[in-house]
Amino acid sequence: MTSARVVACLDVSGGRVVKGTRFRDLRDMGDAVELARRYEEQGIDEIVFLDVSATLEGEASILALAERAAAEVFVPLTIGGGIRSLDDIGRALRAGADKVAINTAAVENPELIDAASDRFGAQCIVISVDTATVNGRPTVWTRSGTVDSGRHLLEWAAECERRGAGELVVTSIDRDGTRRGYDVETLAQVADAVGLPVVASGGAGGIADVVEVFRGTAVSAALVAGILHEGEVTVSAIKTALAAAGLCVRGAS
Amino acid sequence: MRVLIFDAGISNAHSIAKALRAADAAADVRTDLTLLPSADCLVLPGVGAFGPAAQALAPYREALRTAVTQGLPVLGICLGMQLLFDRSPESPGGGLDVLAGEITALPTRRRPHMGWNRLAVGPDQPPLGLDWAYFAHSYVCHPADPAAIWATTAHDEVRFVCALRRGSVWGVQFHPEKSSRAGIAFLRRFLREVRCG
Repeated sequence: MTSARVVACLDVSGGRVVKGTRFRDLRDMGDAVELARRYEEQGIDEIVFLDVSATLEGEASILALAERAAAEVFVPLTIGGGIRSLDDIGRALRAGADKVAINTAAVENPELIDAASDRFGAQCIVISVDTATVNGRPTVWTRSGTVDSGRHLLEWAAECERRGAGELVVTSIDRDGTRRGYDVETLAQVADAVGLPVVASGGAGGIADVVEVFRGTAVSAALVAGILHEGEVTVSAIKTALAAAGLCVRGAS
Repeated sequence: MRVLIFDAGISNAHSIAKALRAADAAADVRTDLTLLPSADCLVLPGVGAFGPAAQALAPYREALRTAVTQGLPVLGICLGMQLLFDRSPESPGGGLDVLAGEITALPTRRRPHMGWNRLAVGPDQPPLGLDWAYFAHSYVCHPADPAAIWATTAHDEVRFVCALRRGSVWGVQFHPEKSSRAGIAFLRRFLREVRCG
């Protein structure tokens, strides 16, 4: 049985971890590789490094970070933020990323998904989807959650699957950084609509939220950030709670 | 002890090299076989689909096959494990054909199979040395010889072979290089058994 995955998301800028609320107000939370190593020791299943600087210097520094992390951290590493082309993907994978997360570029140029999946394999192509519900309709947002593409979330999720994506990370913009819990209703719909693994993202405020999203949806993984970085909860405490709730997890005590 | 990681096309060879270095081995990633004569063992990585990988492997196929059949220890990882077989019904092109059997798509609702699974070691098989491992794949192999099956696991209730072993030919569907400290320990074990013959 494949276990419920707990994924640590590290928003990074210049090799440091930062955390903001609703994509704004960034605060420094420590060295990225240092944190990643600590989470691996605690039993994290995967790590995502998200470049939030979105500059050319940022791209160079996240590649350097991937290189450094891959030599010290032996769980799957995903790099996201500013991935726009096949060349960007190739560079990230060569630097040591196991997967890349593509967001805006995939929405603006969906053929990139087909080409990337053909060249590098579906297993490393993660489509990151930021979503918000306006007038009852969940749509896909781009440009760090500032532009509504107008595309329906479920249609886009199905298109990503058809084009060869290997995984979807679905982030609720309204919940991100608010600690009000995951958007269980929307995530349940996406996970039921596609056969791809879906990663829940945005809104984890505590262990109960992680348990709730696994119990209430068919997601394969849950992404956590702030609650880990600020030391409020540990990976092992999350795993123990998931196991107590009857879920299959790795490394529960 | 020199490990040759042969990267014929698309793979995460550099991640494997980093993990082997963490297991105290000298590992070289090469896209040709000039180091083959001096290698103590071969690691065959690979991600993605069988067809393109087999095509990329074609020019090196005979040299690799000869070395492995003459006793060069090999560890195939993920697609590299599948490349130890002859062919996949869904893809043209041949693998190394050092193991008999076939490759098929994983018939599960959720695919690719991505995540951590507990491994079940087969009866009369030695312990694997790791209980959990990370997987990222859509295809699985079916060895013709059941005695080669070292361990299995299940995704969406479909059980498949995740580790096999016949003499000095080892194959794992999981990624030891991404399976945390236990994965590094597994690589260390492969290296130790290679060293001791």
